[in-house]
This record gives sequence, structure tokens and C-alpha cells, in this order.
Amino acid sequence: MNHFIYTALITVSLLSIPANVFSQADSIAKPDSVLLKQIEKQLSSSQPTPPPLQARTAPSTLPDISVIGDFQASYKDYVKRKFDAGINEAELALQSVVDPYARADFFFTVGKDQLTGKFNFDLEEGYLTTLSLPAHLQLKAGKFRSALGRINPVHPHALPFISLPNAYSNYFGEGINDEGVSLSWLVPNPLFYQELVVQITDGPIDNPSFSRSVGNTYFELAHLKNFFDLSANATLELGFSGMTGANFYDLRTNIGAIDLTYKWKPVQFNTYKSFTWQSEAYFSNANIPKESIVNSFAMYSFINFQFSRRLFFTGMYSYSNKPYSVSTVENAYSATVGWYATEFQKIEVEGKTTSSNIEKEQNQIFLRWIFVIGTHGAHQY
Amino acid sequence: MSTSTVYGTKINVVTTTADLKSITELIGSDKVEVSSIATGYQNPHFVDPKPSYIIKLSRADMFVTVGLDLETGWSPQLLSSSRNPKIQKGSNGYVDASIGVILLQVPSSINRGEGDIHIYGNPHYWLDPVNGKQIAKNICDGLEKISPENKAFFEANLNAFNTKIDLKLKEWTMKISPYKGAKIIAYHNEWCYFEQRFGLVIVDFMEPKPGIPPTPTQLVKIISEVKRNAIKLIISSPYFTTSSSDVVSQQTGAKTIVLGTSVGAFDTIKDYFDLFDYNIDKLIKGLN
Repeated sequence: MNHFIYTALITVSLLSIPANVFSQADSIAKPDSVLLKQIEKQLSSSQPTPPPLQARTAPSTLPDISVIGDFQASYKDYVKRKFDAGINEAELALQSVVDPYARADFFFTVGKDQLTGKFNFDLEEGYLTTLSLPAHLQLKAGKFRSALGRINPVHPHALPFISLPNAYSNYFGEGINDEGVSLSWLVPNPLFYQELVVQITDGPIDNPSFSRSVGNTYFELAHLKNFFDLSANATLELGFSGMTGANFYDLRTNIGAIDLTYKWKPVQFNTYKSFTWQSEAYFSNANIPKESIVNSFAMYSFINFQFSRRLFFTGMYSYSNKPYSVSTVENAYSATVGWYATEFQKIEVEGKTTSSNIEKEQNQIFLRWIFVIGTHGAHQY
Repeated sequence: MSTSTVYGTKINVVTTTADLKSITELIGSDKVEVSSIATGYQNPHFVDPKPSYIIKLSRADMFVTVGLDLETGWSPQLLSSSRNPKIQKGSNGYVDASIGVILLQVPSSINRGEGDIHIYGNPHYWLDPVNGKQIAKNICDGLEKISPENKAFFEANLNAFNTKIDLKLKEWTMKISPYKGAKIIAYHNEWCYFEQRFGLVIVDFMEPKPGIPPTPTQLVKIISEVKRNAIKLIISSPYFTTSSSDVVSQQTGAKTIVLGTSVGAFDTIKDYFDLFDYNIDKLIKGLN
């Protein structure tokens, strides 16, 4: 009897306890069969797979459109107007696949004329690239940046420095960007990546080394790119370029170039740390009137170090003669700090000093603010 | 059968991520040779388009992509440079694994002021094993187009894959069911499919907006949320440093754990099933 009363009291006590006290324990202690039923019910609702009714973002035949703004401010101690600021350039990019056989890329630029201060609209690049030629060939036709070394193919806003290396600008100005055709071949090398590019174009206008000939001399360029994966985190690229074309005197200039780039980027934390060492050397052979030849040389080397997700530093040295003056010697040093807010916006500050055996020392400070709206294609590695 | 010149009679497949590689291997078995561009411990948003990947793609019979713009920063350039018409978008060898997946977080308007949002919806859909079935179906369809004579073989493997997913899903769901509704903090907005499938509640993210590194203001907000909701766990990914979540841990006692976002994220995650085995076990341990 006592036992019965004791059991009844415990039962009443337990029933009087709020149910939620046991809710956690209950969920664990539920028999597997009950849980399994729930899971099976859930699974049956997730069986594949009728075509989804969910609408995706409306498809469009419009090309990818982006605009890149390049605001710059500068201080130069060697000119009369020392401070300057404003929109240096706005680039409008339209990029899309044309059909199964080709894609097209157009880059329009609105750049400021430094003399008049007015903006001029121009076609920076506009070319068609094939996607389906046999034998690993790819043909490009239109106006494009030449495949010369490592700087020339890259739009300035994507470079990790503001002022171009003197070695490069003394020989190629703001770059060789010309109209013609380009054929590239992925060499079937089983050991490493090798790409050979051959280009024939009209000849650049207003370039320190080359000019557009009035005759039948065209600008011809070949570039051999050799790329090695040293490890998962490190790569090495060695390139050889050779080019020939008419010069200012409508005689021929030949330039050979070597580029070497080492990159280190830990695969796992590749957004936090990276290191790049890039160098190029140019060997120029310019024919000038009176059957004279000027053999001159220029080179630059820079390191780019990423300290954190957003902070980058670039230090550069440049040595340069000039295309028609081997006696001119310029030495330039620059340091650039870049802060990358996101992949769509960066701010960079740069100090640069140039000493020369011809002119007095030049010191410059630059600030650049790059920003992009829209969908902009990736840049080359 | 359309075959690769490199791997003899095998179909040469290149995938963007290691999860797609794992599923392709499970469906294609000994009839495929698969390589992945991104590793399992790498942020798939940010892969450097190395020229050596172009070689792989130039020889591929099939290319499998997560799609939804996840790889927009690197795969279009690699595809264009591959000179391989077989794997260009629209070709038989181009497989978008996201086709047919019910997407989450599809934005009604696009504004980069909201951070690095994806216009088609959240692209981390492979972190729901049920979506793995749709991925496998898309891959199976792709393999059948390239090698129709092996259709029955691929479909048998697809059925085996689906059966195993169903079985494992029961196991995973049972294991984690006591923790259904558990509130957690995540570093980046890449767990919504996993969260929905396994009944977790992600209260907030370490990143104030997708792609924006944690700010002091955000950390203060997170610390207060962790304290208010008695949150025990912060989940991160192998490719994010844990320095900011460690600060929150020190202030609140919440634990930071790194889950696998892809196959190969850790040594023990050797295939798509291991990915969920690892994550479920790690979560349970963390929540205990």
C-alpha cells in the first residue's frame, strides 16, 4: 500500500512539473523511430528534382559594362605649376562573347589633355578574340596593347604603382597600343606553360622608340612566355620579347626585352599576404641618320609586398638611357603604399625621385584613387 | 566516345572546386580523370588565374563550374585563354553545377553598397548535401553528353550516390537534431544552405558586409550579440584568419571553430561525404 501511495505521489509530482523543463531531454530521448519518421518526411520533400520554379536574374544579351575612374593629385618640384589634381582618366569597358567562336572587348577612354585641360574620348582598345581555332591557336584583331613584357599589356589602373618606370616610359611612352593582328600559340610543352605571341600592327604614333611609317614598314613583335609553378604558392615567369619597326627618322629600331617575375602567394591565405618581384630589361638598337646606330639600355625592378588584406607596398628602381642617347643616364626610385578598400576601390600614395646626368633632380608625389562600377573582367596573372 | 588525348580513353574533366571534383569522381568512377583548380582550403572567390591552369583547360573534355558568379574573378579569363571550344559556355563540355538548385538569398535589387553580393543568389549551395544530388545529376548529364555509351554506368553511380546521400543525411540529421535551433556566429555569409538543412541559426557575421573585413564596430556588435544570446560558437573557414573571432572568444567565452568549406579543407575530408561528417562532428563537439 505504502509503495502504491509513494508511486502515485511521484507520478502526480512529475505531472505537475511544466512540460518545457523536459523539452531538451525529450528531444534527445525521442525514440529513433519517431525521429526517423520526421527525417524521412523531410527527405521526401527534398527528393530530386522537378525543374525549379524559382526565377533567376533575368538573362541579358548586354555585354559586361564597367566604368573605371582614376582620380589623381600630384606635386612636382621641377615644373612651374607644382600642384595638380583631377580626373586623370575614365575608362568605359564593354566585354562579351560574340558567338561560340569569338569574344569582343572594347575599352574607351576619356582622358585629360594636360595642355588644354579638356577631356578627349578615344578608343583605347577594341578587339575580337577567337575561341575555337585549332592547334591551340588564338587570333586577335583590332586595336590592342602589345604583348611586350609585363607592363605593356596591363591597363595602368591595375598596376601596383602610379608613375610608370622611367625605363619603360623613356622607350615606350604610355605604352604600345596599336592596330593590327595578333596570333598566339599555346606551345604543346609537357613540362611547363609556354605561349608564343606574334603581332603585326600599323606602328605606334607618338612613341619614343617607334613611329608609324609612311612607307611599308610595320611594327612586328614576338613574345615567348615561359611560366613555371615552383610550388603551390610560388611561380616564376620568364619572357622574351623582340620587336622591330620604323622610328622617328623612318629608319628601323629593334628592341629586345627580357622579363622575369617571381610571385609568392600562400594558397590558403591568398587574400592576406603576397610578394612579387618583377624586372624587365630593354636592349635598344636604333638606326639614325648618317648611318649611325644607337645601342642603349634600360631596366627596372620592383618588389610588391602585401602586408595585410588591404595594405600593399611597392618599391621600385629604374635605370635608363634614352632611345637616341646612350650618354643619358637616369636613375629613379619610387615607393608606393596602396590601401585596397575592396577589389573595386583602392587609394595609393607614391613618392618618386629621378636623378639624371643631363637634367637636375626631379621629385614627385602622387596620389591616385581608382574605383570601378559595373562588371570588369579579370586581369592577367 | 569523345576522349582526351592525354588520358587515353578516360574523359578529362577540370572542375573549379574540389567538391565538384569529388562528385565527378563518384559519378564518373574509372571512366574519368578529374582535376580541380581551387584547393579545398582556398577561398573559391579569389583564385589566381595562373597560366598553368590554362594548360589543364586546353586539354579538358569537360569543365564543371559552381556558377552563380562564384568564380567570376578568374574562370572566364581562363576559359577564354584555353582555346578549347569543347568547354566554352554553351558547349556540351560546359557544366554549370548550379542548374536546378533552389537558390537562397536571391537579391531583389543589386547594390554593391551591400558588400560583395552575388546577383544570382548565394553561391555556396554545395554545403547542403541535398543540393549535392542536383550537382551530381548535372554532372551525370554532362558526362552522358560526352560519353552516351556509358549512360547506364553513370546513372547507376548517380543512383548509388543519391542513396548514400539519403542514408548519410539521416545519420547527420539525427546527430545534430539535439542542437536544432542553436545560435551561432559565422565569419562570412557562406553557410545559409548548411544552416537551413541542419536547423542552425546564424545570428550575425564577423564581416559587417560580405567581403568587408571585420571592423571594431562590428566586433563590438558581435560581442554584445554573443552575450545577449548566450552564443557558444563562432564558425569560420580555413582561408580566413581567426584573429578577429579570437577577440570575440576572449571577450565572451564563445569558441571559434574552423569548418571545412570544401573537400580537402582538412586531411580527413577526402570526399563529399567526409565534408559533412567532419563539419557535423566538429559542430557537435563545439556546441557541447
